[in-house]
Amino acid sequence: MTQRLELPKGGFNFENYQRNVALEQQGLKLPTPTKTGTTVVGIIFKDGVVLGADTRSTAGSIVQDKNCDKIRYMAPNVYCCGAGTAADTQFTNSLICSQLELHRLATGRETRVCTALTLVKQMLFKYQGHVSAALILGGYDVTGPRLLAVAPHGSTDKLPYLVMGSGSYAAIAILENRWKKDLERQEAIDLVQEAIEAGIFNDLGSGSDVNITIIEKGKVDNIKGYARPNRREPKCRSYKFARGSTATLNLSAVTVTEGDAMDTS
Amino acid sequence: MSFYPYTDNGGSALAIAGEDYCLLASDTRQSGEDYKIHAGYVPKAFKLTDSCVYAGVGFSADGVALVKRVRQSIEWYRHAHEKTMSTPALAQMIATVLYSKRFFPYYVGTILGGLDENGRGVVYSFDPVGSFEAELHKAVGSGAELIQPFLDNQVNLKFLPEVERTPLPLDVALQIAKDAFTSAAERDTKTGDYLEIFIIDREGVNVERFDLKRD
Amino acid sequence: MFLTRSEYDRGVNTFSPEGRLFQVEYAIEAIKLGSTAVGIQTSEGVVLAVEKRVTSPLLVSSSIEKIMEIDRHLGCAMSGLTPDSRTLIDHARTQSQNHEFTYNEKIKVESVAQAVCDLALRFGEGADGEESTMSRPFGVALLIAGIDEKGPQLFHTDPSGTYVQYDAKAIGSGSEGAQTELQEEYHKSLTLQSAETLSLKVLKQVMEEKLNNTNVELAAVTPEHGFKIYSEADLQTVIERL
Repeated sequence: MTQRLELPKGGFNFENYQRNVALEQQGLKLPTPTKTGTTVVGIIFKDGVVLGADTRSTAGSIVQDKNCDKIRYMAPNVYCCGAGTAADTQFTNSLICSQLELHRLATGRETRVCTALTLVKQMLFKYQGHVSAALILGGYDVTGPRLLAVAPHGSTDKLPYLVMGSGSYAAIAILENRWKKDLERQEAIDLVQEAIEAGIFNDLGSGSDVNITIIEKGKVDNIKGYARPNRREPKCRSYKFARGSTATLNLSAVTVTEGDAMDTS
Repeated sequence: MSFYPYTDNGGSALAIAGEDYCLLASDTRQSGEDYKIHAGYVPKAFKLTDSCVYAGVGFSADGVALVKRVRQSIEWYRHAHEKTMSTPALAQMIATVLYSKRFFPYYVGTILGGLDENGRGVVYSFDPVGSFEAELHKAVGSGAELIQPFLDNQVNLKFLPEVERTPLPLDVALQIAKDAFTSAAERDTKTGDYLEIFIIDREGVNVERFDLKRD
Repeated sequence: MFLTRSEYDRGVNTFSPEGRLFQVEYAIEAIKLGSTAVGIQTSEGVVLAVEKRVTSPLLVSSSIEKIMEIDRHLGCAMSGLTPDSRTLIDHARTQSQNHEFTYNEKIKVESVAQAVCDLALRFGEGADGEESTMSRPFGVALLIAGIDEKGPQLFHTDPSGTYVQYDAKAIGSGSEGAQTELQEEYHKSLTLQSAETLSLKVLKQVMEEKLNNTNVELAAVTPEHGFKIYSEADLQTVIERL
């Protein structure tokens, strides 16, 4: 009988759970997952949906990535912005993304945003909030422009303008003030840009550029760096190190003779 | 949770001592817990005398309270001894003030930049309960881990082959200070908004202000 | 002043109608009964010299201490009710140590004089919240010698809490004659060595006994050695120069 390593077929593996709880009680500091401070927004306009996001990813107060992509593909006509624990949003997104692909292959129909939403909320509810993903789903399907949101415990919202993440207070302030029904495409983009910038400038967890995705009937526009309000100014000095800046502590030479040559026979 | 009267308001400061000058730079962002920015312009560096500047990072309220107390001490000293307190005397005095609150400390990382009695640049750095040391360059605050090794390398020429050490000219020190802050602002979320650089020399104290990134 | 004796010399904090505090004035009188002490400031340092009244051949003269160290850069000579000086010198020493602890620098000579005078007036009932340490004025005058960033300096303090800086000053029973002599002999370019001899010369003139290396005490504060009391041998060399 051959023994082989079983790879998990799916779901979570809890075999170390009890051990980790015991270790934590003994005072061991467990590693904390990366939480993304974020500003993401979505709004509905006359002909579609505009999603916007900043591009900062943080670990505590340190910026981990100055240009990360927070608007992710879910289906050809559905995109998703995530806030919360980075791993949870990414895995939730790709897990559902795969299921949607299979669903399209099985049904031969274009994905509907509410389908994606249902799958996500059922998954998140199952995990009772332990999977901390907060997502905004935006897309255009047979029912027209759709904008939906899911919170980590699985509750959902359907609203014409939505915000998520640590910069959501700054962003919602802009949207509450300026959003109106049937905005023109450019008006919608401008509004999203302003909302994201509010997050970028007033929330420490958000920063760098504004990424925007516009989803309309049969058409998706992904604009990375739609606005770049935080260009790094050039440094005053050059920090090129002269040759030999790395000190040589000791030198040893090995002479490769014929006999040491690689055996290529 | 039990009563905890401290907050970390973030921010960074650095000081570089030159032959006949000293430079002290700090950002002006005041942040709160949970990704909050309280305000963009809340200075944390203050001129104490014509030859000494203070910067306190950590819990902003304590930093301000400490400056208030130190300034009063300087004034009392001036009346009692008819002279301005020298930078080394100030350093010792601040240490005793900090240690006097050993069991309810001022939660600040303090640096002093200035000139000593002979007009040479000096930097003193303190921990919250009064341990202090004279140094040639020092970074404190939320960006200190990013800035300190940069200063070690660029000011003290650490990790470089032995080279002849020449005194660091003021204009170079200024460029290093600016680059340290624009770079720290890139990676430390709590450092940003504006940069204030105090230059202390025989003529007195001058301040220059620069923009930092606001994100 | 004794002719106008009145009831106003009872309370230590009661002014007479002429605006005088008799107890303070009497305290100053007490100094005139004390042994003579002389201080001379030069650019090289400050010299202090005192007369020791060896009243009995059985008295161990080295046990009479009239010059004391306040700190390494500060010394002090006294005249009057010498036990009273203990409190004052204790205070001066504490202030000097406290200053060095707080500021990591030597206290100024003038600041010490000021500190001593702050205490000198704390007699009587004591103001509200302020502790009074003495029920009467201190009956002692001090010559405080020291060196700081302003160079060598000599200060005189008296029971009224007044302090004045002098180039050369004599206090005690022989002070009048000694002061006149100092005025005649003092000049700005005096060396430390000539100040040593001058101080003993002045003492010799006002002393009843013959001056020798046991009935005077000599000390100096110099930038090199700080405060130093002369040994009997060192004293002898100075006496021989007279």
